[in-house]
Amino acid sequence: MHENIFVESLPDLISAEEYADHPDGRLIRLRIDCDDDGVRILGDALRPAELEALLRELGGGPTEQMLCG
Amino acid sequence: MTVIPLPLWQPALLGTALPDGRVRCELCPHECVLAPGESGRCAVRRNDGGVLRTAAGSPAVAHLDAIERKPFYHAWPGRKVLTVAGPGCSFRCNYCLNYRLSQFGRDPAVPWTGSAAEPAAIVARADRERAAIGLSYSEPSLAVELTLELADRAAPHDLPILWKSNGFLTAAGADLVAPVLAAVNIDVKAATDAAHRRLTGAPLGPVLDTVRRLRAAGVWVEISTPLIPGISDRESDLRAIAGRLAEIDQTMPWHLLRFTPEYRMLRQDPTAPESLRRAREIGREAGLRFVYVERALGPEGRNTRCPGCDRELIARGLWETLSVTLAGGACPHCRASIPGRW
Repeated sequence: MHENIFVESLPDLISAEEYADHPDGRLIRLRIDCDDDGVRILGDALRPAELEALLRELGGGPTEQMLCG
Repeated sequence: MTVIPLPLWQPALLGTALPDGRVRCELCPHECVLAPGESGRCAVRRNDGGVLRTAAGSPAVAHLDAIERKPFYHAWPGRKVLTVAGPGCSFRCNYCLNYRLSQFGRDPAVPWTGSAAEPAAIVARADRERAAIGLSYSEPSLAVELTLELADRAAPHDLPILWKSNGFLTAAGADLVAPVLAAVNIDVKAATDAAHRRLTGAPLGPVLDTVRRLRAAGVWVEISTPLIPGISDRESDLRAIAGRLAEIDQTMPWHLLRFTPEYRMLRQDPTAPESLRRAREIGREAGLRFVYVERALGPEGRNTRCPGCDRELIARGLWETLSVTLAGGACPHCRASIPGRW
C-alpha cells in the first residue's frame, strides 16, 4: 500500500493568477530534482488526486502532503 | 515485521449510562446510543463495557503553521499555531481534502495513524515558539478531553487554544469547551438542512446553534464556507448563508473557500475565481463587513479594510500578516472599532 505522510509545508508551483486559465482544473506542474540521494519530485495540481495517481505510477518512496485548515 | 498501531481508548466525557449496559454519547447531536462494544458514527468514541471511551485524543500530527492558514484573520495576526490532530470526524464530507486523517473508521481504506498524546510536550513546544495551540485538520470537537487538558497546562503560559471545527456540538459539548476556547473557525457548508445532510451526513441547525452559543460565551468566532458544487455555490445558496450569518452578527468575519476536486467529488471543476468574487459581493450585500478570499483574488481578497473609512488596516500575504495598522483595536483614522483578538 502506498504511504502518505503529512508534512507542515510544501512549496507552491501554481499561483492563484493561473486559476482562471484552467477552469477545468487540468493543470499539473512538476519539479524534478536529482542528487546523490536520488530523485525527488515536487508536484502541484488543481486536482490533487490526479497528481497523486501520477506519483504512485512513478513509484519510489512515500508521498508527502500538506493538510488543509 | 511491521507493527500496525491501534487506537488508545481513554475515558470520555459526556457519556450517560443507560439500562442494559448501553451508553448515550452526548458530545455531538448524533447522540449515538451505543451497545457494549459499539462505536459511534464518529468511530472514535465507543462503549467499552458500559464506559464511554474516546480515541480522539491521540494526535497523528503536530504541525507549526500560520494562524492565517486556519484561517483566522481577526485573531492574533502573525502568530504561529502548533496544530495537533487525531484521526476522526463527525461528518463524512465527500470533498474532504484531509480524508486520510478525518475519515478513520468511516472509510475502510483510512488507517489508524494516531499515537498517545503528550500534552506537556505539546505545551512546552508551543511555549518555546510562543505559538497558540490549535486543534484542526480533523474534527477537534471530538477531542474535548484533550482540549481541556491542553488548556489546563497552557493557561499558566498564556497560550490561547484554537479550533477549526465543523461546529457539530450539543449544547452540553459547547458549554464544556467554551471556557477554555479562545477562538474557533466554524464551517457553515450549506444553506439548508437538506443540502447540509447531503454533503456531511448531519443537519445544519446545530452548527448555527454552536456559532451563537460560543459567541455568547465570549469565544471569538470566524466562519468559513467552501463553495461546493450543487451544495453552496449557487447565488441563492450564498445569499441564504450570508443572510443567516448577518442575522447573527454583521461583523463576524466570513471566509470564502475554493472547492478543490478531491476524495469522492472528483468530477466537479474547481471553483472559478469569478464565483468567489461574486460570493464576496453577495456577502457584502447581505451586510457582512469582513468577507475574505484567501488566494484566488490576490491580496485584495485577504486584506482588512476599515468598514468606516475604507482605509486598509491589515495587509496579508499568502498565509502571513504583513502589516497591522490598528490603535487599540480600532481604525487609527476614523476610530471605528475592528472586532477581534489583537
